Amino acid sequence: MLKIIKISILLLFLVAGVSCTESDSTETLQQEPVKKLDSKYPGKKVYRHSMDGTPTTLDPVRAAVIYSNFVVLNIFDTLYSYKYLARPYELKPNLATSMPDVSEDGLTYTINIKKGVFFHDDVSFENGVGRELVAQDVIYSIQRHFDKQFQSQGAWLFAGRIVGLDDWKKNGSDYSQEIEGLQAIDSHTIQIKLIEPYPQLIYTLAMGFTAVVPREAVEHYGVEFGSKPVGSGPFILDSFNQEKAVLFANPKFRKESLDLAYEGYNEEKHGFTGVKALDGLAPPYIDVMEIHFVMETSSRWNSFTKGDEIQYTTVPKEKASTVIQSKKPLTLYPEIVEKYHHTFMVESGFVYSGFDMSNPAFGITGDPVQDEKNKALRCAIRKSFNWDQRNRAFYFNLGTVFPGAITPSVMEFDPDFDKESITVDIEGAKKLLADAGWTPESLPVLEYHSTGGTLYRMFYEQFRGFLKKIGYPVNKIKFKPYPSFGAFNKALKNGQTPYFSLAWGLDYPDAENTLQLFYGPNHAPGSNNFNYMNPEFDKKFEEAKIMQPSPERTKLYNELNQILVEDCVAVSGLARNRIYLWHKDTIMFPDREILGGFFAKYVDVKN
Amino acid sequence: MDVLKFAIRKLLGGIPLILGVTFIAFLLMVYFGPDLTYEKLGKNPTPEEIAEIRHQLGYDQPFLTRYGTYLKQLVTLDFGYADIRDLKVSDILKETMPVSLHLIIPGFILGNVIAVILALIAAYHRSSWVDKLIMTGSVIGMSISFLIVIIVFQLIFSSSYGLGWFPVRGWEVYDADGGIIWLEYLKYVTVPTLATVFVALGYNTRFYRAVLVEEMTKDHVRTAKAFGHGTKALLFKGVLKNAMVPIITRVMFSIPLVVVSGSLLIESYFGIPGVGKVTYDAILAGDQNILKAIVGLTAVLFVIVLLLTDILYRVFDPRVELK
Repeated sequence: MLKIIKISILLLFLVAGVSCTESDSTETLQQEPVKKLDSKYPGKKVYRHSMDGTPTTLDPVRAAVIYSNFVVLNIFDTLYSYKYLARPYELKPNLATSMPDVSEDGLTYTINIKKGVFFHDDVSFENGVGRELVAQDVIYSIQRHFDKQFQSQGAWLFAGRIVGLDDWKKNGSDYSQEIEGLQAIDSHTIQIKLIEPYPQLIYTLAMGFTAVVPREAVEHYGVEFGSKPVGSGPFILDSFNQEKAVLFANPKFRKESLDLAYEGYNEEKHGFTGVKALDGLAPPYIDVMEIHFVMETSSRWNSFTKGDEIQYTTVPKEKASTVIQSKKPLTLYPEIVEKYHHTFMVESGFVYSGFDMSNPAFGITGDPVQDEKNKALRCAIRKSFNWDQRNRAFYFNLGTVFPGAITPSVMEFDPDFDKESITVDIEGAKKLLADAGWTPESLPVLEYHSTGGTLYRMFYEQFRGFLKKIGYPVNKIKFKPYPSFGAFNKALKNGQTPYFSLAWGLDYPDAENTLQLFYGPNHAPGSNNFNYMNPEFDKKFEEAKIMQPSPERTKLYNELNQILVEDCVAVSGLARNRIYLWHKDTIMFPDREILGGFFAKYVDVKN
Repeated sequence: MDVLKFAIRKLLGGIPLILGVTFIAFLLMVYFGPDLTYEKLGKNPTPEEIAEIRHQLGYDQPFLTRYGTYLKQLVTLDFGYADIRDLKVSDILKETMPVSLHLIIPGFILGNVIAVILALIAAYHRSSWVDKLIMTGSVIGMSISFLIVIIVFQLIFSSSYGLGWFPVRGWEVYDADGGIIWLEYLKYVTVPTLATVFVALGYNTRFYRAVLVEEMTKDHVRTAKAFGHGTKALLFKGVLKNAMVPIITRVMFSIPLVVVSGSLLIESYFGIPGVGKVTYDAILAGDQNILKAIVGLTAVLFVIVLLLTDILYRVFDPRVELK
């Protein structure tokens, strides 16, 4: 009996060994019509990109984070995209033939799409050959946001905006029913009718959320469409796992030559990149793009500096002292400059803290006397906040501190806006508190809510130090960490965070995107986590949000910003400055901000 | 037949263990895990949309109903779709578990075999400088954090700041048909294995030495020595064979963690798409379906390992009865 057991164990190990050898870890993700190249891609041009996070889905309707968006924008097509090199960001037609034809009242958008654009070959199509992309596909891709089975995270872009779309959802998302405001006039023309003017619509049509998907593939793969996406973009997904996505150039991608002058090329700014050599050539220029998802900064840095692994990285905080020689002006060490190309960029979002205005201890109570007292308290706290110290301690003094909620990355930003709200003023803060009748005994307990972790604890400790200087009793300042962002977010959305710290990344380069964070009807669980309700602000916002870009709108935006600053709703803000490094054998001008990955189709690698 | 009866009895006896482990783990997931409602929603959700998502996530169901669903999933091995990737949990595990096995097995085997050899040498030369040298090495291995070992080994062997002999990241070890390209495998597995062995040797050698030293003080060893048995026979037949019960226990009980959990840190730092990285991402993202599968399968594997361990005791020590 024992001998039998011994032999059985031996056999078991042998079988296990054999099965391990024969297993195919990538089998489930392999796209049937795509021939898999070997791991080394002999004779192919390969670009290895890196990102500091992992996408959870590649389905456009849920491409809410930059990591998903980056990949989505390279697999799918959007109607519009951003010019490769022009800054401030400028839209250009992508799948559309031209910029939209907008009716005089701003309510009807007519968009023609290019002919001869084909989806990637895939088993979901007849005979496995990708069919032509038509207007109905664009309609379907927007409709999906209003079909609850797809758990859209981008429906907010169109909710209450397009005639009949919300009703279509209420009536059960029946695709056989037409939507008045979303029509295919012919096979290559789309017409969108709006309930009220929505100047930001054009931006939404450049976002990954509105990337065009084929209905056959969505229905064929079901939930797994997010892992096996089929689009018409410059790249075709070969494999995707927790560590990397491998994309192959789409051989059928439309031949559109790169026009550098049109894309915003500036010899002084972009000459070093070598992109000039690509002028007149049709992308994609590489055969394979590997996108590595590397959260561990030491590992990412080692891989980048190895030479034959990843070719691009943002500089991790831990490596700033290895890379940065001086901060003002920002210069890098000569050995870094000699080995790598680099550029700096102010992020399109910002970091900020703020008050829940529905909290009676700091916000609006309905009692005018108490409300004034609370306002003085909020303003005193803001005056105590030392942005320079925050910038030096946590952002290598590279961040751009600005007043209010209009970030430096948008055209509406006013560099001459009063800086009082970002200037530390200890004596002024003490006076405000004293004048309002606050004493150390009467000051309320201030709970600082944020995600848990060492960094956030350090933010809190610094903040507590600021408050101590204005006489706020330290035992009345409490740290309330959450085990995950999900838990913190839930507390935010349920109005349980009297004072909180957050960051916001712009969806599009329009100050409306940050000002809406304070718009009353967007109160929690909407994006207005401040629960700020100011009829004057809301009225002006409603006026501004339907205006096309103009000096009048910019003036209105700045008035809105002034209201926010005067009401001391937020302690804001700082836009972080990122340093991008890439190998000198790689020809590109990377950008991870609003563009979110459009640049990747223009990447080339020297042989 | 006795073995079969024993196995059935043991497996049935393992059911309460599985129920207990899964119940506690699920309780923690439900009441202390992240709430994904707002992660899955867009920016300005309506109360209806919030309710809809909570329904889809099953948050509106009573705890026991949800636990019942979990048990059903465990029996059918169908855990639904993951949140961290739009794939079935079973497909993700099928894809990642072989990777983790290929990654961990060399380090696991070497870490145990070398530790046993070193422990034998140390035990044989007890209190001599050889023993002290080996034990000092073990303590060093135990004292340094695994994370530091990984970073330092990566710097030394893989990075351009060190020798640069091996890749920093990646796992390009399979050919188009899924077979292993052995040369590539060696390239990618060497540094992770060295790091694993370095740390494992510390703990294992110390444990095995203690077991072997105890065995060496037994009467039968002294008698064998007195009868003039050679060192080799004495160590392997007299000592090692009789010390196999605690060694088997340690080795066998490591298996479920190796198979199911993989090596989270190794996979994260070396960019290896194994089940450890999936588990890590699932914990961060609060992906309950993956975590339910990992916890459930680990519990089941523990029960199987308990059974196999008892049978192996009998193989190495005939005095052990299967009751």
